[in-house]
Amino acid sequence: MSAILEVKKLRKAFGGVVAVDDNTFAVERGTRLGIIGPNGAGKTTTFNMIAGFYKPTSGTIEFEGRRISGLKPHRISQLGIGRTFQNVRAFRELTVYDHVMAGALAHELHYRPTAKQVEEVEHILQWSRLAEHRDTTVKNLTLAAQRQIELATALATRPKVLLLDELMAGLTFVEIDQMLDLLRLINQEMGITLIVVEHVMKAIMALCQRIIVLSYGKIIAEGSPQEISTNQTVIEAYLGKETAYA
Amino acid sequence: MLLQQILNGIIVGATYSLIALGLNLIWSITDIADFSQGGTYVFAAYAAYFVVTLVKLPFIVALLLAMVLGAVLSYLFERVLYRRWTGLSRIQLLCAIALFFLMANLAILFWTAKAKIFPAYLKGSVKFAGVTLSYQRIVVLAVAAILFVVVYFFIQNTKMGKAIRAASQDREAAAVVGINIHTVNSVVFMIGGILSATAAVLISPLYSVFPNMGDLPLLKSLVVVILGGFGSVAGVLVGGMGLGLVESLGGVYISSAYQHGFAFIVLILVLLFFPKGLFGKV
Amino acid sequence: MRNTKRSPLVTIIILIVVLVVLAVLPQLTSEYITYVAVLAMLYAVLTGSYDILTGYTGPLTFCHGAFYGIGAYTSALLTLKAGLPFWAAFPLSGVMVFVFAVIIGYPGLRLKGHYFAVTSFFFAHFMYLVILNSIGLTNGPMGLGGIKPPEGFLGINFAGLKASYYLIFIYGIIVITGLWLFIRSGIGKLLVTIRENEELSEAIGVNTAFYKVLAFSVGAGVAGLTGSLFAHFFRLLHPTTFAWMTSEMVVIMSLVGGLGTLIGPIIGAGIVTLILELMRFAPELRLITWSVALIAVLLIEPKGLMGLIRRLQPGGRK
Repeated sequence: MSAILEVKKLRKAFGGVVAVDDNTFAVERGTRLGIIGPNGAGKTTTFNMIAGFYKPTSGTIEFEGRRISGLKPHRISQLGIGRTFQNVRAFRELTVYDHVMAGALAHELHYRPTAKQVEEVEHILQWSRLAEHRDTTVKNLTLAAQRQIELATALATRPKVLLLDELMAGLTFVEIDQMLDLLRLINQEMGITLIVVEHVMKAIMALCQRIIVLSYGKIIAEGSPQEISTNQTVIEAYLGKETAYA
Repeated sequence: MLLQQILNGIIVGATYSLIALGLNLIWSITDIADFSQGGTYVFAAYAAYFVVTLVKLPFIVALLLAMVLGAVLSYLFERVLYRRWTGLSRIQLLCAIALFFLMANLAILFWTAKAKIFPAYLKGSVKFAGVTLSYQRIVVLAVAAILFVVVYFFIQNTKMGKAIRAASQDREAAAVVGINIHTVNSVVFMIGGILSATAAVLISPLYSVFPNMGDLPLLKSLVVVILGGFGSVAGVLVGGMGLGLVESLGGVYISSAYQHGFAFIVLILVLLFFPKGLFGKV
Repeated sequence: MRNTKRSPLVTIIILIVVLVVLAVLPQLTSEYITYVAVLAMLYAVLTGSYDILTGYTGPLTFCHGAFYGIGAYTSALLTLKAGLPFWAAFPLSGVMVFVFAVIIGYPGLRLKGHYFAVTSFFFAHFMYLVILNSIGLTNGPMGLGGIKPPEGFLGINFAGLKASYYLIFIYGIIVITGLWLFIRSGIGKLLVTIRENEELSEAIGVNTAFYKVLAFSVGAGVAGLTGSLFAHFFRLLHPTTFAWMTSEMVVIMSLVGGLGTLIGPIIGAGIVTLILELMRFAPELRLITWSVALIAVLLIEPKGLMGLIRRLQPGGRK
């Protein structure tokens, strides 16, 4: 049992609305897990709870055997969980280099970045195809590039697990393929466990080994991409019962 | 004696409530803590003063003219200044504070720092249970009550009022459903201006008119807004009068020197124990 | 792709000019101008320390003048009533104001939106009331006088104008260099991330609550130290010196120069102090001018002088 992340009976209610309804699932170290579901199914809410931005109403989250539910986001980041946001966030006035280096410094603070940190950041910039923009101010770059930068910065925090929220939204087919290559590299070469929320089906099916399907806050299916794509309940959840022909 | 203090406190507090009501509306729609209302307060008081003493018109006319002035000034500030920086709330806040200082100092420049005595418009008082309450003080309560009811009614039952409520909950959603945010902003600022002007004119006959008269009422009204105002007209009413009460009693029984500091102490104490404000909306 | 960083050459030129002028000033000009220069230098450090929180980390505050005043009165009282030498009172004032700021900042900076900004406004006024009314301690509106200059050493006598001037000049250089090094450090880089996007900053592991309080308190501590120097240079304190207007002036100076650039606020302090003195003859006009100037800055270039310079540079654009 090498579950790096365990979610047990996780629940989040906002007033009377239950966004996440007593979900339990585990993520194995080094794997790529996808979370899909119609809008409002509770995917981002689940992420927000794992990353510490929301407190669960009930239930627990354990990371490497230790309870993290209720901890502050920066603590959870320090423990090894990184994330990206659905609406791209960025430190707009920083240069790309400083932006990514901030991630490194946040985890290992020095007066000046060490040679090792500089090397790491350079590598990340290379992999993310951002090296040529290293001295450009982030606000002058495209949204797609800013998303890359957000990911690169998260990588600089040396995460063990990465929570990626709709990374592919609005990307062209070519960009999606490039992103998938990068994600596979991150997972296979750096050993980082990936948990991915996505609407772009092609990407999820191509990338993930296992998929969880949420609908109205509950897990309605779990399995390989193959199993999920032919699962009746899943199809109904997305398309509605009337159109759920096999 | 105690009853006298209580009543005086509540009456002064009613003026805080008036200003706070306006500030509350403005803050909940635009995220601006509109310090300029403190300046509008001062100009309204001087305007009423001159109308009564120079033009020799009755108090009620002066009050109405001051309300108009308040509406006009606040409308202009929003239209010409705040609107330029939609979404840049820091700049808007700095501008509001600048306007506040500007107006207070313009008052010193135009009319000197010497306090002016606002002539009484209603003489006489009512006495009961060892308490003396001048008719002018009763008018303060009456007018405040009327305005509160009017504003409440406006917000609950008119089309614009519904638009205001919608915008205060979710600005973007309101715009998406076709509410003209610019119009809503203008209306809300004008209401704020009217309320501040009214508070100023009502209090002037009781305590005189001077350039810095807006400083403390503004600060205290902001305290009322922060502590309990959000989304709640009743909260502002109760909060304002409550603060006036605390100040009055505290001034007599605890310390008169720090009378004006009680607002701050209350604020700190509440924020320490309720970091999200009394009504959980901070 | 464009790189919009400001050319360091401009900064260096400005710095050298300023340093040279300040270094020779007491030798070449009248006593009056020397006094004004001291005031300008004190304000420069005050504004620079304000920039650490508001310019670099983000939260807007209006109580920096209060920290200045608390430092001044604390230092004065420590020497007058507790009999401490200046050289002990000076660092102690800084430490005390630092601790004070931690106490207020810890709950205060957790507040969202502009609540802390508005609260800091009250706090400043409240401190003014405390100083005004603690007559037994501070003499209130009658002013606290008879403060002694720093004790001399190596034959230097700080009762003299030139000696005190250079003391403050050297203090200014040391502190501003220290602030600059602080901003350039890893911590400084993290502070900026808080300003740029607080949520993302948390997400990458920055303890934003801690760093905000740190920036606030470091700035306050420096303000306290600077206040101490003010007290022992001018040797007479009055509560109104540290009322709202001082905090407001710090904000204006920072904006005029350009928040978040360190050099900007310092230049702003110099310019504003100079013009304030030139307008000595019309006190009401001064305050009006500054309110108007503030609005003008907001309208034309909210990033102040430094922002203007960046805009005018070849290849620079807004």
